[in-house]
Amino acid sequence: MIIDLHPTEDQQMIADSIGGMLADALPVSRLREESGHAGAIERSLWNDLAEMGLFGMGIAEEDGGAGYGLPEEIVAARELGRVLASPSVLAQMAAVHLSEDNVREALIAGKERAAFAARGLGGEVLLFDGAGADHVVLLSDTAVLASCEMFDWQSAVSMDETLTIHRSPHTDPTEDTRSPIADRISLLLSAALSGMAHGATALAVEYASQREQFGQPIGSFQAIKHQLADMRVRADAADSQTMVAAVAFGRGNNDRNEVAAARWLAGDAAISNAKAGIQVHGGMGFTAECDAHLFLKRAHTFASLGSSRRAEERRLLDQQ
Amino acid sequence: MRLIEDPKLDQFRAECRDWLQDNVPKGPRPAEGLALREYDLAWQRTQYDGGWAGVSWPEEFGGRGLSVLEQLIWHEEYARAGAPPSASMFVALSHAGPTIIVQGSDQQKRTYLPPILKGEENWCQGFSEPGAGSDLASLKTRGVVDGDHLVVTGTKIWTSYAEGANRQELLVRTNPDEPRHRGLTWIVCDMDLPGIDIRPITAMSGVTHFAQVFYDEVRIPLANVVGEINKGWNIAMTTLGFERGTGTIAHQIELANGVERLIEAARGTVDPLTNRSMIDDEAIAAKLAGLRAEVMALRSLTVASVSRGMREEVPGAEGNIPALYFGELTRRVNGAALEIFGSSALVRDGAHNWPLHYLESFKWAIGGGTSEIRRNVIGERVLQLPRGPRAI
Ligand SMILES: Cc1cc2nc3c(=O)[nH]c(=O)nc-3n(C[C@H](O)[C@H](O)[C@H](O)COP(=O)(O)OP(=O)(O)OC[C@H]3O[C@@H](n4cnc5c(N)ncnc54)[C@H](O)[C@@H]3O)c2cc1C
Repeated sequence: MIIDLHPTEDQQMIADSIGGMLADALPVSRLREESGHAGAIERSLWNDLAEMGLFGMGIAEEDGGAGYGLPEEIVAARELGRVLASPSVLAQMAAVHLSEDNVREALIAGKERAAFAARGLGGEVLLFDGAGADHVVLLSDTAVLASCEMFDWQSAVSMDETLTIHRSPHTDPTEDTRSPIADRISLLLSAALSGMAHGATALAVEYASQREQFGQPIGSFQAIKHQLADMRVRADAADSQTMVAAVAFGRGNNDRNEVAAARWLAGDAAISNAKAGIQVHGGMGFTAECDAHLFLKRAHTFASLGSSRRAEERRLLDQQ
Repeated sequence: MRLIEDPKLDQFRAECRDWLQDNVPKGPRPAEGLALREYDLAWQRTQYDGGWAGVSWPEEFGGRGLSVLEQLIWHEEYARAGAPPSASMFVALSHAGPTIIVQGSDQQKRTYLPPILKGEENWCQGFSEPGAGSDLASLKTRGVVDGDHLVVTGTKIWTSYAEGANRQELLVRTNPDEPRHRGLTWIVCDMDLPGIDIRPITAMSGVTHFAQVFYDEVRIPLANVVGEINKGWNIAMTTLGFERGTGTIAHQIELANGVERLIEAARGTVDPLTNRSMIDDEAIAAKLAGLRAEVMALRSLTVASVSRGMREEVPGAEGNIPALYFGELTRRVNGAALEIFGSSALVRDGAHNWPLHYLESFKWAIGGGTSEIRRNVIGERVLQLPRGPRAI
């Protein structure tokens, strides 16, 4: 078994078409305005995204999907992460793998909607950008699809003001064991987190190339340049590990380990790069008007979804 | 990103595995000096006789003429079989050889390549000088043309495995009037020429594997110049680029094995603080799990690098990414034993010899380009950031 990480023609096309569409329709700058919060613009594009085949990307054609596999979903998820797309878009891509027949069809077509929810402390459930959703993809160490109506949602104030949080005291009794689908969703999250890590790097590189102090661009100072190089390395490490895990998924006998490593690295890369990105922007980085903090807030949200860092560490040690 | 599934490659892998299983030397390997050189050459001869030398080198010079994919498979199986690191053959196999394949004349290829593959000759690298390390282009060792010879005077330092080496890839200044990298020449120096004096240097680990080399009017035939005179810089950059290729896969697997040894040892050691296995300690478990994830990331970065390498003839600046990751991670992995096991890890003759691995691990973030220089290169050539201030 040999792995080639160079994009295939299909993957390049997906990256270009989805990446291009997202860059136009969902630039990170949209989040500076309230009209761009809570996944509102994403929702207005839901039909377009469905038509592009995004939601059924990894579902076989005979089941109504686009007939690609996990690697192609990874390419798309990375682009979603790069523009900080609402978690609900990724939730929809995840939900199709947890649903059957009618529901799956409706999700692929964008007629029904899903959102991510996480298990919090004391049995509470937290829902992200879930307004108007029909289904929740409830993530903990496991992944379960449930009806949104099963919960008693109360709105809460999110650290990330660009997305909404609802919380419900409901404890879902249908606790499952971890399935391969939970691993698959974990890789989608890893890909989105890797995309964020790359996005934060690109933003900081652009700023460091143009902002001048002491008569020269700050990117020429090694204290800045080396931080940016480390950001790139962290993003690449997470990205490469996610791709390797995705390509080998279901083929090797070490899936859990590969996925756990991807998730561990990607969570770290997204958060660390967001932090470094703020520092590179100086005082501007501390302001609400600069986009750097948006990467930090999103990274924390995505990193909190699914199994915890501690659970991944246990998984990394349990096997092999 | 995709799996390359090709029964021919699977077959090739199986052949590699079988042959390695039967032929990897089992006896103890000398740590240093001429004994190590002899050992490495003998192992190279065994590989040549078995038909496994230079998997991707041209057939007419003794190689197998296969693609980088087969080369990669060979390296993977080589490492998995626990075959010895290339050590004193490293420069010949991973630097000089590939450089001559790309940049050398036909005559040079015929002269230099077969003896490498046959395990008859080993090479060393004479680039760094006492005054020119990271700033390689400031090197001062002089080469003066005299008839059909280049007369070399000066000194090189940190020359790994110089003792006993047959040949050297040597970078000298042939035109002192041209600034920095413009007046340099890449030449093959036979190490038994009159005027060469080799003085071994002992490393902080106690191992002696490099030396300072002095040149006193050493006469090297001009026919040994690879590329053109005064055009050596580009050749040298080709050489250094190859350092980041598949040549380090064996070291990576060694590193992965190091993490496994740590985990095993932590499992089997009682924590004096809790009387339970050390792996049950949250902080230790988290550290080891993280190292395991990072070792996997290193492998994945290398897969990415090789995937790029299949599409470019000469390695690009991105090769610094896995190299930087490797150098930094190696130090942390090998330092972990001392953090976890305390004073018992300070014993050199223990089952694991943690101190040797720890002390040796520092070299990977220095040799072949320091971590700082790699960050400069990633910043300027991968991210296209503005260059820093440079003298000239
Ligand atoms: C085990 C080992 C084997 C080696 N084998 C060989 C060999 O076979 N042949 C050979 O030619 N060489 C060899 N070397 C030499 C190696 O390439 C040099 O040590 C290396 O390039 C650094 O040069 P230096 O030692 O002069 O350090 P210096 O360049 O003096 O660096 C000292 C410190 O300053 C930092 N620094 C320097 N310049 C900059 C800059 N522009 N920006 C930021 N930081 C900077 C460095 O990162 C480092 O931390 C070997 C080295 C080691 C450790």
